[in-house]
Amino acid sequence: MIEPDERSSGASHLLVRVGGYVCALPLAAVRRVVRALTLHPLPGSAAELKGLAEYGGEPLPVLDLARLVRAPQGANPAYPVTVVVWAGPPEARELVGLAADAALELARLPASAQWQQWQQADTRPRGGGTALLPESGSPLAGFVAGEAVVGGEVVRVVNLEALGGLG
Amino acid sequence: MAGAAADGESYLLLRRGGGLWGVAHAAVRGLSRQGSGYRVEVGQRPLLADEVVGVVTGLRVRPAMAALRRFWPEAACGLAVHETGPLVIVDPASPPRALTAELEPSADEGDGHG
Repeated sequence: MIEPDERSSGASHLLVRVGGYVCALPLAAVRRVVRALTLHPLPGSAAELKGLAEYGGEPLPVLDLARLVRAPQGANPAYPVTVVVWAGPPEARELVGLAADAALELARLPASAQWQQWQQADTRPRGGGTALLPESGSPLAGFVAGEAVVGGEVVRVVNLEALGGLG
Repeated sequence: MAGAAADGESYLLLRRGGGLWGVAHAAVRGLSRQGSGYRVEVGQRPLLADEVVGVVTGLRVRPAMAALRRFWPEAACGLAVHETGPLVIVDPASPPRALTAELEPSADEGDGHG
C-alpha cells in the first residue's frame, strides 16, 4: 500500500504502468494505492468501467485505466493494483478507482509548457503505439492532457478533472 | 432521483448478472419463482433476479457518481454497500436493462409469425 507523504515532497505525479504505457497521475489527486479491490460487475456498463468495489465502507467505481488511455495491452493484464484517486473538478470531486499494473514511482514532471499537448488532430502519440485521441464529445475527451518525457521515457499525463463531470 | 436514503428504509436485495441490486421494499408488490430465478413485481414492469438475498435496513445510499454515470447509462436511485458488497439502488420506475432483459421482446420477435 502506498500513501503520499512527506517523501513525495517535490514530486508532482505518481507514475503507474498500465498495459504498454506509463501514465502520470497528479499526486495531489492520489488518495491511495492498494492491491486490486474485489470487483462486482455492473451489467450494461461500458468497457471502461470494470465494476463496483467497496472501499472504506463506500461504493467505488473502478475504471480500466488502460482503456481510458487507449494503452496497448501488456503481458499481464491482471491489473493487480487499484489506484484510488479524486476525479472531477475540485468543486465536485469524487473518489474513483483506476485499475493498473503497477505503481512505479513518484516523479516531478517538467512544466506543462514542455509537454507534447494532445490536440484533436493528433492520431499518433509521440511515444508510438496505436492509441488514438478520443474524439471531442467522447466520454474520454480531455482525459489525457499530453505527454512528457521522464527519465527518458514517454509518459501520458492524465487529467483526472476531466473524468468526473459530465460536461 | 439520487439522494440520501432515510434511516430505517428497507430494501430488497437481489443478485442479477453478477451484480447486487437493491429496490425499496415499499415498492415491491410481489415476489414469485420464475424458472430458476425470481420475478419481482415493482413499478410498471417486473424485475428478474437470479437470487433473492433478503431484506435489509440501514443502508447508507449515496448518489451515483458522475464518473459512474459516464460509463453506465442507466437510471439509479444511488449506490450503497451491504456488508462488503457494493450495490445499486434501483429506480422502480426505470430499472436497469440487466434486471428486465429477459422480458424485453427481441427485435425480430412478433413479426412474421402467424
